Amino acid sequence: MQSPTIYPFVAIVRQDEMKLALILNIINPLISGVLIRGDKGTGKSTAVRALAAILPEIDVVENCPFQLPPGSNHAICQVCGPCPDPVRVIRRKVRVIELPVGATEDRVVGSMDLETAIKEGERRFEPGILAAAHRGILYVDEVNLLDDHVVDLLLDAAAMGTNTVEREGISISHPSRFTLVGTMNPEEGELRPQLLDRFGLYVRITGIPDPMARVEVMERRAAFEQDAAAFVQRWEPESHALQAQIQSAIQRHPLVRIERTHTVGIARRCIEAGVDGHRADIITYKAATALAAWRGRNQVADEDVETAISLALPHRLRRLPFDEIDRLP
Amino acid sequence: MKLALLLNAVDPLIGGVLIRGQKGTCKSTAARALGRLLPPLRVVADCPYGCDPADTDSLCTGCAARYRSGLPLPVADRLVPVVTLPLNATEEMIVGGLDLEHALRTGARRLQPGLLARANRGVLYIDEVNLLDDRLVDLVLSVAAEGVNRIEREGVSSWHPARFILVGTMNPEEGALRPHFADRFGLCVQLHGEDDPELRAEVMERREAFDRDPIGFAAAFQAQESDLAARIVAAQQALDKVALTAPVLRLITDLCLDHHVAGHRADLAIRRAARALSALQVSPSVQAEQVIQVALLGLNHRRRRPVPGNPPPHTDAGAHDRLDQDGASQRLSRELMGDQELDGESAAAETTVLDRSTPQPGSGTHEQLFAVDDPFPVRPIVQPRDRLIRQGSGRRFRTLTRRTGHPITTIRDRTGRDVALDATIREAAPYQVHRPHRPGMAITIRGHDIHTRVRERRIGNLLVFIIDASSSMGVQARMRAVKGAILSLLLDAYQKRDQVALVSFRDRGAQVLLWPTSSVELAARHLQNLPTGGHTPLSHGLVESYRLIRAHLMRYPSARPIAILITDGRANVPINPGVYAHQEAPSIASKIADEKRVHWIVVDTEAGDMYFGLAAELARRLGAEHLEIADLKAEDLIHLAQHCETID
Repeated sequence: MQSPTIYPFVAIVRQDEMKLALILNIINPLISGVLIRGDKGTGKSTAVRALAAILPEIDVVENCPFQLPPGSNHAICQVCGPCPDPVRVIRRKVRVIELPVGATEDRVVGSMDLETAIKEGERRFEPGILAAAHRGILYVDEVNLLDDHVVDLLLDAAAMGTNTVEREGISISHPSRFTLVGTMNPEEGELRPQLLDRFGLYVRITGIPDPMARVEVMERRAAFEQDAAAFVQRWEPESHALQAQIQSAIQRHPLVRIERTHTVGIARRCIEAGVDGHRADIITYKAATALAAWRGRNQVADEDVETAISLALPHRLRRLPFDEIDRLP
Repeated sequence: MKLALLLNAVDPLIGGVLIRGQKGTCKSTAARALGRLLPPLRVVADCPYGCDPADTDSLCTGCAARYRSGLPLPVADRLVPVVTLPLNATEEMIVGGLDLEHALRTGARRLQPGLLARANRGVLYIDEVNLLDDRLVDLVLSVAAEGVNRIEREGVSSWHPARFILVGTMNPEEGALRPHFADRFGLCVQLHGEDDPELRAEVMERREAFDRDPIGFAAAFQAQESDLAARIVAAQQALDKVALTAPVLRLITDLCLDHHVAGHRADLAIRRAARALSALQVSPSVQAEQVIQVALLGLNHRRRRPVPGNPPPHTDAGAHDRLDQDGASQRLSRELMGDQELDGESAAAETTVLDRSTPQPGSGTHEQLFAVDDPFPVRPIVQPRDRLIRQGSGRRFRTLTRRTGHPITTIRDRTGRDVALDATIREAAPYQVHRPHRPGMAITIRGHDIHTRVRERRIGNLLVFIIDASSSMGVQARMRAVKGAILSLLLDAYQKRDQVALVSFRDRGAQVLLWPTSSVELAARHLQNLPTGGHTPLSHGLVESYRLIRAHLMRYPSARPIAILITDGRANVPINPGVYAHQEAPSIASKIADEKRVHWIVVDTEAGDMYFGLAAELARRLGAEHLEIADLKAEDLIHLAQHCETID
């Protein structure tokens, strides 16, 4: 099956903040995601789907239903049974797994495998979306329309980094650490604060007011629709350059140092803003180091902290259900 | 929080911890770390329930039989189990069910132990406990109370001991926990983030260090951890020797009485906690100081307002920070009104009308804009559950659904929709030894084995607010109270994921301010900006809201909207010229009442020297509940608690 050609990430006009937030998440997956909030037709979904092409590669045991790296010895491995010997390791890109809004509970967490149950009379676990999304990106379009009880399940898994299944005679727990990327259109209602807090960063995007840029958007789109393959090829060099840049940032990231004055500064800002809990601090810290790496520095600078705060704090100021997100100082 | 967890580690009989806190205050992190600190258990090596070989009185059936027949019980040391109860758990996984493989092989029914079996003598950890399905909550509660899990399902009849420390975490923003359930937790801690920048920086740095090298990080704290574990063991042994003097006991009971707790669980929990604390501090007897230190932990979730009629308590310590729910809603109202009332409560209490009386062009009458009173917890508004199958999402009331929703149980049903494979196979399993098999198939299933799932989910509802904004509502700042009441209902609607619509009527006509939407935020904003003034076109309001409800019912015929009319009933503008308005409105109300799918509530705001009972008459005509604003407030927790106990 030929997957449809994806619009190149680099060909998206403007919306730099959104692109930056997504790239930071690739550099440090522990930032744990981004929420993109904006009007209809501002390229939210296009950008997330386009990510797939520029993501880095990871080592995975071939056919491992839980996307584990080689040499891991998780409790799930004992349930799953021994890997085929010798273990074949493949290198593949980080995946973008989409969670459809109408997904049912059993598909999300996993359920009993029908075929083996009937043919062999054995219970076997059929992994769900949360297993597929481990070490990858879990993308929820229109996340504010997600069914309430599915949101509860997501929260549960995201909190632990583990999906614990206790249903249909199956009792299993497997790792499920994912970068949660959501898009939403605020006209359809807001998100619960608890879920909001799970998104590491937050970007608000609007349509571009500049007419010239708008023309550019139309022209590129038309070119893409006319001949997708050729369009992608035309942007190939830039895609490669971006990929290389991300790759070097990933390598640099562990070396980045942050001074105590900066950490205390972040803490102070978070206290002033009156955010709940410590997640804001931790995310800002991680985003600042990722930013420094992205900008080719080994030391976090003031501007990195500023940018990180502007990405990590806005949605956490909305502490109570009726506050508006965009009523910011 | 660490203290509460430690105390439980020393004396498991304290009865667990409920951790309430905002997002990101490491509730879950701490709870999960607890298991590592507990000293290993001595267990019967091959017992699925981890029986204690030394305690021969409370063995499970299997171990007891072996013990009586004189067989030796194999002994092993095991880490204390920390069992997580996930939100997706189904009933049979929690209590246990038929052992499938065993049934297939031998045709005999045997129990496959569930979560509760594994949690015996350990920790049962429930993350986001307030989101757990009510049915599962009931299950866990009854087992926790008895210490024994009895299984009667799928042809299996069995029981086993199930004593565990219940540890739950919750974020109060997402809805409250039933008081009865909250009471089961021995202690309760309230968490907040750190305020000191230096400490917060420390949090960030440690977290980063952990993320970069989890194993090295754990090793660095190994020494401290084993030191702590040793202290716990020492405290456990010293526990029985700690003396409790009569004055200390007296202090505990006084504290509990002062805070109006129901039942005696608080006394017991505080007593045990104080004793455990003394043991930890290597002190030979419990002093007042230890009681004070743990008292709040035991009282946090049990404190209530004084029962009306009783003299006020002589200590007022708990009065201003009672239950968090109150605090949260007050904070919310302040937040919401932030741009109008910057001074918070003091300003809100004294000023009645804000100087925002901006006359609008087009209407000649005087208009006022009233602020919103503090919201309060509202009493539950529900409709009776029926058997209709619905679609939708929310938490207002429960309904049976198809395909989606949380599976609650299974029934024998051959229609084959939404087959519960597991239940079907379990049903067929014991007969497989006798049934012929087709090649390649391990199980033969007959039609009568087929079970289908029964799913239930809570769906939200449409709440239509019909607000009288005429000038009579401005008298004595009644509108403030009304807005406060509506805001409270909106808050409730948020937690239950309801849809809301707003209709207001004043001066010459009625207006739909907000068509049905799930954006409760929008409704709150409209409410804030709702002006008051002019005549009372009650008939218009009724007709307009009826039109809106009809449109909604056309789209969702199985919906059961709730209409809340807030008025004093003093109609003075008729729709038809020449008719008396105060006669027209009730007759319209009678006609509207023909639509039986709508549940009407009339909130009577009539006040003053003359009482006409107009709103009451309106309510009678509509077949509505007739309430005053005060009636909307949640009954005192004492009633709720008593109610729950009768259900038991």
